[in-house]
Amino acid sequence: MTSIPTLNTERLVMRAPGPQDFEAYVEFRMSDRAVGVGGPFTRSQAFDHMCELLGHWPMRGFGRWMVADKTTDQPLGIVGLMYPESWPEPEIAWSVFADGEGRGIAYEAAMESRRYAYDVLGWDTVISCIVPENTRSIALAKRMGAVQETSFQHEELGELDIWRHLSREVLQ
Amino acid sequence: MIPTLETKRLILRAPKTEDFEAYAEFMAGDRSKGVGGPMDRAAAWGGFVGDAGQWVLLGYGFWIVEEKSSGKPAGQVGFWHPDHWPEVELGWTMFEGFEGLGYAHEAAQEARKFGYEVKGWGPIISLIVTGNARSVTLAEKLGATFERDWQSPAGHKAMLYRHPAPEALQ
Repeated sequence: MTSIPTLNTERLVMRAPGPQDFEAYVEFRMSDRAVGVGGPFTRSQAFDHMCELLGHWPMRGFGRWMVADKTTDQPLGIVGLMYPESWPEPEIAWSVFADGEGRGIAYEAAMESRRYAYDVLGWDTVISCIVPENTRSIALAKRMGAVQETSFQHEELGELDIWRHLSREVLQ
Repeated sequence: MIPTLETKRLILRAPKTEDFEAYAEFMAGDRSKGVGGPMDRAAAWGGFVGDAGQWVLLGYGFWIVEEKSSGKPAGQVGFWHPDHWPEVELGWTMFEGFEGLGYAHEAAQEARKFGYEVKGWGPIISLIVTGNARSVTLAEKLGATFERDWQSPAGHKAMLYRHPAPEALQ
């Protein structure tokens, strides 16, 4: 199994999700905050999704981290890289729990994820797929310098806009 | 962290990305009705990846059953325990082309042994979708007996079979 690396940013630790995060994750997935990612979901769906989140790492060799407060280790969100079968290419994805809201956490962790994708995994480019109504996510993508490229029809989630991040070449 | 088990003809091992094709093919077919299918590749990916992830979350899960002679993924056997399940269950699935060889029986016995001896569980259950006669046959071959009907929160009907206790197998 791929071991999940731990990354540190100024205020955050990005670490392997684990059983200790389950309740915080379930609360998020069952809340209105999950609307932008196809929710809200039931508890049993959230369990399945947490399994998917964890299983993505060994199956793809990369994945999404649990973003936690560096001091308290409180889980604040899920940010990282993902590439499900139904996605056009690998993406940077972010979700912030209610307790992590409004602190720039998604930005900080998404920037670190992009750095990891380019510096560690050696990718040249990366996208983010965003529901057109998710204005907060779009604002974050723009803040990172991403530009909207095209959109595609996802079977379950409907229309998703593809935002292309600054390339590795441009950032060098 | 996923242990490897071995039987006469099979290896029970951690899932690999390459196993997805056999899994997706099975999930696209009618035989997957017993495990929530049929489903398309995108949905199958979630199930496939989720099975790997359950190991991390709970410390047990499904192995890929590999046929020793060919090295091909022949199916899945192991322990499933979604949040709404009444208790941990022993489950089995044979992919296309690997039915009728007694593999599910061989692998399920080994997995059950692991559950009893390594995990220390008591008499384990298997949940079988109502109408899945082949799975019932295997459950009975394994010595399991029908205990009661069970319905998932989503309304799916299943039969709960109880395996013999560890003591009874010794």
